[in-house]
Amino acid sequence: MTQSPLTLSHVTKRFGPFTAVNDLSLDVPEGQIIGFLGPNGAGKSTSLRMALGVMPQDEGEVALFGAAPDIEALKRVGFLPEERGLYKKMTARSTITHFARLKGMSGSDAKDRASELLESAGLGEFANARISKLSKGMAQKVQILSTLAHRPDFLILDEPFSGLDPVNQQGLEDMIREEHARGATILFSTHVMEHAERLCDRIVMMARGRKVFDGTLPEAFSALGNGARIAVSGGYDLAAALSPKGFDAVRDPQMESDEWWRVALPNGRDAQDALRAAIEAGAPIAGFAPEEARLRDVFVSLAGEADAAALNDSRTKSAEAS
Amino acid sequence: MRNIYLIFRRDYLGYVSAWGFWLGLLALPILAGLGMVFAAVASNATPTRYYAVVEQGAVYADAIEDEFRRAIESQRKEEMRIAESMNLPVDREQMEGAPQREKKFLLVDTPANGIDELRPYLLGEKLVDGPLGPRPLFAVFIATETEEGRALEYWSEDVNVSTLRDIAVEAAFRLRQNEALAEQGLTDDFVQGIRDTAPRVLEKRIRSVTEQASTGNAVTMSDKAPTFVAIGLAYVLWLMIFSVIQYLLMGTIEERGNKIFDTLLTSVKLPQLLAGKLLAVFAVTATMAGTWSLTSIVGSAFLVNAVPEMEGMIAPFIAAFADPKLMVPALISFVLGYLMYGVIFMAMGSLCDTIQEAQTLLSPMMILLMLPMLAIIVAFNDPSSPLIDGASWVPIFTPFLLILRMPQDPPLWEVLSKMALMSVTTFIAMWLATKVYRAGAVNGAGIGDVGGWVKGLFGRGGKTAPAEAE
Repeated sequence: MTQSPLTLSHVTKRFGPFTAVNDLSLDVPEGQIIGFLGPNGAGKSTSLRMALGVMPQDEGEVALFGAAPDIEALKRVGFLPEERGLYKKMTARSTITHFARLKGMSGSDAKDRASELLESAGLGEFANARISKLSKGMAQKVQILSTLAHRPDFLILDEPFSGLDPVNQQGLEDMIREEHARGATILFSTHVMEHAERLCDRIVMMARGRKVFDGTLPEAFSALGNGARIAVSGGYDLAAALSPKGFDAVRDPQMESDEWWRVALPNGRDAQDALRAAIEAGAPIAGFAPEEARLRDVFVSLAGEADAAALNDSRTKSAEAS
Repeated sequence: MRNIYLIFRRDYLGYVSAWGFWLGLLALPILAGLGMVFAAVASNATPTRYYAVVEQGAVYADAIEDEFRRAIESQRKEEMRIAESMNLPVDREQMEGAPQREKKFLLVDTPANGIDELRPYLLGEKLVDGPLGPRPLFAVFIATETEEGRALEYWSEDVNVSTLRDIAVEAAFRLRQNEALAEQGLTDDFVQGIRDTAPRVLEKRIRSVTEQASTGNAVTMSDKAPTFVAIGLAYVLWLMIFSVIQYLLMGTIEERGNKIFDTLLTSVKLPQLLAGKLLAVFAVTATMAGTWSLTSIVGSAFLVNAVPEMEGMIAPFIAAFADPKLMVPALISFVLGYLMYGVIFMAMGSLCDTIQEAQTLLSPMMILLMLPMLAIIVAFNDPSSPLIDGASWVPIFTPFLLILRMPQDPPLWEVLSKMALMSVTTFIAMWLATKVYRAGAVNGAGIGDVGGWVKGLFGRGGKTAPAEAE
């Protein structure tokens, strides 16, 4: 039986009176892509730093490949920190080579791997350029390549998409899929829910230092429950008509017109079932729109509007940075 | 070990490929060379000046000229004495027959007799003729006689150059001395005879009976070389620490500024990171010291080859340098001193985002580092000064001052005690610095937290200590 790359058990971290991470338990099974979601200040980076043994936890247990994080276990890990930085006077190739060697690769292998990665990332002609001479985006690519160079079994990426333009964000998504296809387990933090929706097998949501959700994407959506919006004419009471058929309907407060109703979908029934029930009840249908839940909606329902606003704030700042 | 080596390798190559390293490497020989050239140029650059004496006859003028001749002769004898004491080859006949050193003050005929008439010559508005062509008059002596007695007025625009005035004072004294001797029916030869037959003071070095049997009791350069070498080593150690700790400080600030710590700490342990970094800068220091030593050895060999007689001067220094009694404590002091100051500066760097921030912490450290330099200056005049003995017990000064104490043959218990004290202090410095480094590098503690830690140490409601802040 293979060891989980990472297990956190009731981990807590305090900074003075402030509790940054509160009783976090998390298991990262081998081969998954897991999104670690939440706004800035939710405790994501602190959790990841504890997972890597960079920062000691105050309570709880951290197991990296089944044992407390040590340098040998960390050789199987590739870590991209949230705060990016490289030695500005080193060249792109020597940077990747240096970090790959620190992870245990031989000098010649590391050098060959650095050249290979730079070529594949379209940075071949900048291999011997100093980091200080590269653009911010190029330098970020070099740091990401440094994280991947030693072919880690487990990738921990802290806000990997922040600061990247849309083209490079797409490139990074592709890279994450390639690493996953190679067999790597991936845990990445983000406050941009769309990346998680596209990439993740599973998501863990954090708010104010606490885990508020841990499960698959379908489980996340089912936690919120899907819905449908149906418009009826002539002041028709849709709630009374659908109630005997097992659907709850309320007037949609977001619409100025009182013709629109929101219909909650019980487990196992979809928007088409709700429409069919309304027609059968003789409702004068004027409009219909199935509602698909987004991760943000899930987050709002689990963490509340305040944390959702913080999430928006994080996104705005991130967009400004990129 | 591999991780330490990789950190060491990256940092070392980073340092030695920087311009600053090469400038530092070349600075010492260049500055030494420039110093010698400057001294030579300064000596030759002193202009030759004219002076005149206004008097009846030439009594004072002759006395001053005689005094110049005596001063030059005295200087030549002193040079011969120093050369002999340094075992330099001295050809007395050749030195005594060498042409007279160029006189920097030449006597010329006075162009006028009153100070009002002489004023334009002294202010450079008019020139006087002399052996080197027309020049301004630098100074004029005017002999006067009043009720208070005879006097020699010295007039010059430049009152900062006192050589000519000092010579005149000596000349006036000797003139009066000769007059007094003549009044007693004696001459200057009488005084010289007294001087020549006065009991000589012979400098001897006390040694053990067995040592004296083999080396005698005369004071030679071999007796003085250990002190010179110790002073040189202490100075080089101070210079090294003073210059290379900047590397550690700047390197750490760069890593903090570039947010590299998290990446590094997921690849190497903190002690490995610190060890690699300290070793890298130590290697930079060793490279500098090695290059300078090699240059000195090659230079000495070249000198001895060109002038075989120089071997007598160089040999005592090489012997003192190779003496384990001096070198072993020097090497231990060097290593411990480097570690002690190195970790302190690394810890400081880990708390600072910019050089400007570091300046706040750097200033008191620099003042602290200047204190042993003052002790080195004291050692030049009195190597066995109680000040050096006392200060060498202060652990942060011991690395520099223990070396200065070694030529005085301190008791073994003293040497071992100071080394033990230095080792304990170095260990405590490393322990504390690691905690501060961790607080700065891992927890992002900044310079503003230092005051809180200090208050916390004294229980005045400050912030938690670095270890607790983790």
